[in-house]
Amino acid sequence: MAPVSSCSPRAACAMAGVVLLAGCGAPAPEQSVGEDAVTRTNCGIDVAVEAPPERVYAAYQPGIEVAHALGLSDRLVGTAFLDAEVLPEYADEQAAADYVPTLPSREGLLETDPDFVISGFNGFFAENSPDRSVGTRASLRELGVQSWILSPLCPSEDGLTDRAIDPESVRVDSVYRDLRDLGALFGAEDEAERVIADMRERIAAVEAKVEGAERPSVAIVSPGEDGGYRVASGVDFGTRIIEHAGGVNAFADLTGKRNVDVGVEELVERDPDVILTDACCDAEMTTQDARDEVRAIKSDPALEGVAAVAEGEVHPFLFADRAAGVRAAHSIELVASRIHPDLVEQ
Amino acid sequence: MTPQDREALVLRSPRARVVFVLGRRSTVLAAAVWLLAGGAAVLSLTLGQYDIGVGGVLRVLAGGGSLIEYDVVVRNRLPRALTGLGAGAAFALSGAVLQRISANPLVSPDVIGVNSGAAFGALTVLTVYGGTGLHTAAGALAGAAATAGAIFALSAGRGLSGYRLVLVGIGVAAMLTSAVSFLLTRADYHRVLAASAWLTGSLANRSGLHVAIVAATLAVAAPVLVVLARRIRLLELGDDLAGMLSGRTASPRLAPAAVAVALAAMATAAAGPIGFVALVAPQIVRRLLPGRGALLAPAAAVGALLVVAADLAARLPFTPVELPVGVMTGVLGAPVLLYLLARANRIGHTG
Amino acid sequence: MTSATAPPGTGCATAPRAPDEPRRGLLSGRAGRAAGLASAGLVLAAACALSLVTGNYALSFTDAVSALVAPAGSEADRIVWQVRVPRTATGVLAGVGLGIAGAVMQGLTRNPLAGPGILGVNAGAAFAVVVAMSVFQVGALTGYLWFSFAGAALAAVFVYALGSLGAGGAAPVKLALAGAALSAMVGSATTAITLLDPSALDGFRFWTVGSLTRADTGQLLVAAPAVLVGLCLAAAVRRELNTVALGEDMARGLGTRLASTRALGAAAVVLLAGAATAIAGPITFVGLVVPHIARALTGPDYRWIMPWCLLLAPAVLVLADVLGRVLIRPEQLQVGIVTGLIGAPFFIHLVRRRKVAQL
Repeated sequence: MAPVSSCSPRAACAMAGVVLLAGCGAPAPEQSVGEDAVTRTNCGIDVAVEAPPERVYAAYQPGIEVAHALGLSDRLVGTAFLDAEVLPEYADEQAAADYVPTLPSREGLLETDPDFVISGFNGFFAENSPDRSVGTRASLRELGVQSWILSPLCPSEDGLTDRAIDPESVRVDSVYRDLRDLGALFGAEDEAERVIADMRERIAAVEAKVEGAERPSVAIVSPGEDGGYRVASGVDFGTRIIEHAGGVNAFADLTGKRNVDVGVEELVERDPDVILTDACCDAEMTTQDARDEVRAIKSDPALEGVAAVAEGEVHPFLFADRAAGVRAAHSIELVASRIHPDLVEQ
Repeated sequence: MTPQDREALVLRSPRARVVFVLGRRSTVLAAAVWLLAGGAAVLSLTLGQYDIGVGGVLRVLAGGGSLIEYDVVVRNRLPRALTGLGAGAAFALSGAVLQRISANPLVSPDVIGVNSGAAFGALTVLTVYGGTGLHTAAGALAGAAATAGAIFALSAGRGLSGYRLVLVGIGVAAMLTSAVSFLLTRADYHRVLAASAWLTGSLANRSGLHVAIVAATLAVAAPVLVVLARRIRLLELGDDLAGMLSGRTASPRLAPAAVAVALAAMATAAAGPIGFVALVAPQIVRRLLPGRGALLAPAAAVGALLVVAADLAARLPFTPVELPVGVMTGVLGAPVLLYLLARANRIGHTG
Repeated sequence: MTSATAPPGTGCATAPRAPDEPRRGLLSGRAGRAAGLASAGLVLAAACALSLVTGNYALSFTDAVSALVAPAGSEADRIVWQVRVPRTATGVLAGVGLGIAGAVMQGLTRNPLAGPGILGVNAGAAFAVVVAMSVFQVGALTGYLWFSFAGAALAAVFVYALGSLGAGGAAPVKLALAGAALSAMVGSATTAITLLDPSALDGFRFWTVGSLTRADTGQLLVAAPAVLVGLCLAAAVRRELNTVALGEDMARGLGTRLASTRALGAAAVVLLAGAATAIAGPITFVGLVVPHIARALTGPDYRWIMPWCLLLAPAVLVLADVLGRVLIRPEQLQVGIVTGLIGAPFFIHLVRRRKVAQL
């Protein structure tokens, strides 16, 4: 549905009655872009800023960590929904930021008076969603609020959510481009290049070590409450992390959605060599907390014969670790050290 | 002639084809409750997580305020309140019409599964055809009509009054709820489909389109109901008498029932299947104006008030979490249904 | 409250009405019924066999059988013994609980629409479990079980009390409506708790739709004794249910102690439906539909209806679960959704064929 301009259905105004009629004259949104504006395209949307944004709202782990990585910590007016503890290098900055564990409503977001919103997940800008959405990016831009979705999670169209991901965009290069673009928008080009160089170097180091080694099949698995398991599919960034670390995702052929609920039999059938857990969603969560999931998987008698369980290759891993963001280098090192312990030290 | 009728204002069209009777008490009640509902809607413009206050809202409505304030008040809270008012009125009108022509307080679109049918229809369009906006509304209408048709056909031969219809409706509603769950787990859709909207009804993130859907529906349905008002009154006298007085025999209930189903369908398309409003609002009117059938104008006002008030109760106390309005109407409305049952059982009418 | 066009009350308590079902079922005579019962046993066995060979893990019938009878520690053995056997056992246990509970409820209330799903007993039990998880932080299934029983008992008492008010006693329509209203209310409350406590969302979701894949062997061993005791209680009142069917006055005249019959029967319902819901979540329609199938096949004698339910109800539930496994591979459809889709039409059919006067 196209964004409806203010009060376009006259019936709305008519119903509101005389009192509200005055409200139908909207202040004109400032759409004009000056000569010296910096413009970058993100998920098909032009993002233009006249000057580096000063009031940034960051949602989801990758969005929050990217903001810290680019040195925007003191411009954060709010952060929401961490999946786990932020990387240690950002811990002090995050401790100083305003944080809410649940995603804000549109009002809750606007209350912080942001001029830029970075989100690590596209559902944040879903249209007409009663849950966990602040409205489309177009509707925010009309308020002078620019927005950014980390591009491995670009929806095919503004207002859609993660089932519409283009698999081609799910790669580490997309994260580099995001960092570079955001750096340009925020006047933080140097920080961006520094972060990119660091990530490139670390990932290349891992790839050099695992090159030529046998590539085990790896599944990112979370025990469901229903006796089944939730796995990361081929369009999840976790698939790329596993590949860079010298493995293959055992569920790479499933591409309909990022997370797929499968029965225990499907997991046995795929018989992954390594299982990584998928513990989530608490700002204090650490790898230690993922050990409950490791225990649950190891103690499921049905999985006894799965190679990963039989060989003791079930490792604590966090949902945050498979997200597309500056954490990628850390995650690739972590996964490589799990699946190639002889080649990559922990 | 009852005393109320003597206080009535009677408007006639030429040749008395349409006679419009305005009972004084019902007019006063409707006006008073609409004022309350409007007041609640205005109040809901001023309350919320974004702290703006009465002064700020007035400033925005006068054309001032920042873009963000304008967005919060006019593009977020206003469509929400208007959709609430409109959907509440539409659900209540639907319930009042169905309850009156069936002479059964339980025959309301939420109890007999019409709302579930509309939700299923809208969801099918969204998931299977990827349609949006008006397509969804059309899907809701088709789903509701098919459901209502099936319910009426399955309980055929006994008119609308039998409890058979209510029970068939409960069964159909159960099946449709399973079907909605199935669609939600299954469909490979590329649109956001939040379960809360299609299982319980929600007013969060409404836009002008939702307002337009309910407003257009009410704009069409209200005049039709005015024209049908006489027939609805006759139907309350029983089938035979109604047939004699109206001079026609073929399905005198068809037109009012169709309007009622359409109202419930469009309200569901705009706000999801908000439960119990259609059931409860006419009953409240009956208590306030004893001795009369559930009058339509006051019932619509009560429905509007109920939904807007329930939405306030659902979104304010738990900040930053907002509950969908349907949860609140369910928690608050189901006891009313239980009370109605207890009362009917005590009097001994239901069995 | 309702107008004069509403059907007049039929006093269940005042006049023994003609039995709803034909006096004789499709099968008559002791031998015929026994043969029928044996074939019902075969149906159950076939359902269990199907459940053991159906799943995402490809396993031939012979492989499954050899894994079942002679496990040697292979992958097939684990699939059969750790996945499909517990799942099938959950289905059998929950099916037995729901089917017998439904039969006892229909007998006690002399109400063809009675059943643990329609009367809100399952919804009450599930709500109690959600409250246990969110408010009291109960973690183990043994803890849930008590909440499940309490919820089932409260819902049963509440719906029955509400439905029994006024003339006519617990007439079908009154009970069904009271059950629907209670289900709607606790359903909304369950949703509210779920949304307000999102950290536990996954755990709660199970309690809105029934499923056979959650309970493990240990949990089944906790629930099984409850089902067993419930079965014994139900068996103890099977004769009395026959005399209750003749009407309260007649039953009293024949020397039936109504109070103790009702107490035993109610205890059986709470144990059976509560245990079933504790291991499988709320499952609708099985408890309502199966006793009707049994009655149609074997006639109105509860001494025959009970064993039929004992065999058919688990067969129906297990088959519904098998269907849920194959419909949307590689994902799975919870059994509660399947029973809702296939059970509701049967409910509508029941409502339709009854004379209005009986509703």
